[in-house]
Amino acid sequence: MDRRKFILAGAASAVATAALADDRRTTSATPVVVPTGNTVKARVIVIGGGMAGTTVAKYLRLWGDSVEVTLIERMPTYTSNIMSSLVLTGQRTLSSLTYKYDALRNKYGVTTVFGDVVAVDPVNAKVTLADKTVLTADRIVMAPGITFDAVPGLGTSDKMPHAWTAGTQTTLLASQLGAMRAGGVAILTIPKTPYRCPPGPYERACLIADWLKVKKPGSKLIVLDANPDIVTEKDNFTNAFLGLHGNVIEYHNNAEVLSVDPAGMNLYTAGGGTFHGDVVNMIPRQRAGGLIAATGLNNATEGRFAGVNVLSYMSTTPGAGKVHIIGDSSATTQPKAGHIANQEAKVCADALSRILAGGSPDTAPVTNSACFSTITATQASWLHAVFQYDPVTTTMQSVPAATGASVGWNTDSFEDMSKWFGALMADSFA
Amino acid sequence: MNHQSRRKLLRLAGTLLLISSGLCANAQTSPAGRLLASNCFQCHGTNGKGPGFDTLAGKSASEIYQELIEFRSGKDGNGLMAKHSLGYTDAQLRQLSQWLSTQR
Repeated sequence: MDRRKFILAGAASAVATAALADDRRTTSATPVVVPTGNTVKARVIVIGGGMAGTTVAKYLRLWGDSVEVTLIERMPTYTSNIMSSLVLTGQRTLSSLTYKYDALRNKYGVTTVFGDVVAVDPVNAKVTLADKTVLTADRIVMAPGITFDAVPGLGTSDKMPHAWTAGTQTTLLASQLGAMRAGGVAILTIPKTPYRCPPGPYERACLIADWLKVKKPGSKLIVLDANPDIVTEKDNFTNAFLGLHGNVIEYHNNAEVLSVDPAGMNLYTAGGGTFHGDVVNMIPRQRAGGLIAATGLNNATEGRFAGVNVLSYMSTTPGAGKVHIIGDSSATTQPKAGHIANQEAKVCADALSRILAGGSPDTAPVTNSACFSTITATQASWLHAVFQYDPVTTTMQSVPAATGASVGWNTDSFEDMSKWFGALMADSFA
Repeated sequence: MNHQSRRKLLRLAGTLLLISSGLCANAQTSPAGRLLASNCFQCHGTNGKGPGFDTLAGKSASEIYQELIEFRSGKDGNGLMAKHSLGYTDAQLRQLSQWLSTQR
């Protein structure tokens, strides 16, 4: 599809349906929120249909003044990373974590394109797909999430899954844990910060330890943390690691994995340690989704993530002012996680709505982060923060009084976790 | 017009401008409090209309504001909302409560 066809596609939704009618592209017949047709005033392309991408697409349609939105995503469905550790213990199925893009299309009038983006031209706001289709817009929002560093020695072996992107990796690790002998050794590795979902590896360690006690008596879980200390929610995780799960978990700090030997199931850490496991959950170090570096937008965190202006999430790379980056691939003072990615998306949608109408972004945005951590199969803790824009440092600063965790864990929080998850996914996908 | 009454008039004009920009935001701005209130949506649903925790749509501004002040005071325990309510300035709490009260 060339640029002209893309513009035509926005000119009338009936024409768009006909022009794009193949099995990989679908448009809604009647967007109910914002009329398209010849009232379209601006066009935005969103790349990536995760927590950040879907939310910005939805809210651009809700808040924008006749902004036409095209969401480009590789997969026809989204599998939530949040709650996916519960798949490892058999408490959740992957299908229960699967979300479709139907509501974005039918309820909000977002155009979805399922395909691979091979190039982004940040100066001219052009996107090229693998099938050579070129799409053009007034602005591009990139939300490609994270990708993993290669682990030296691992190659293409499936013996040490990360299961840090929910899907086949999750299934793989679940089956390896299920097949482990009682009295065995499982290993979970935690990469150097910043990585996706700071409390995530610690809550997974707690959950697996609790599961091992029941399903694989006498087993041990070795946690190899590349960081000098537990990176977040330190009181709860320290108490859980040393107390509640003290007979299962063996925690090592400053234990960055330098290389692995999947045939022998060995890991070699900084400081010369060698660890052997029957099952290894190897979570590698992370960087922004590949498209960020390919577009030259990886100007922060030693080239790993994309620098942005947090008033609008506009790229800080010179010349890339038409590109905004939200969610885990952006470098901000905020954590990389789904709940706050959803709020970054709303800040971006509000800013773009104003910019595209000739205005400027809100000068005092507020964001919040909230999540729950499974400490056992039935009990959870919570972690929370609010961020206010600080004009002096031009960063989002956490409000100390509003930042912190629950004192301990309980079953009420475990129930709240399910309610929170349902609400968050609905605000992003429904 | 003396200096003082002129200042009063200016202040009144400023207030009116604030009110009108809050009520009918033009395309270059956004309704006052909407972006702030969107921090509630992850747990209380888009526009506070669920699914999730307590539905916020349909409540008056003072009802929402008073609940937030109660959370802040710690009277309702040290749960997540007690922490959350401490993240905003008083003016921000009023603004987001005001916007939420427009949702029915």
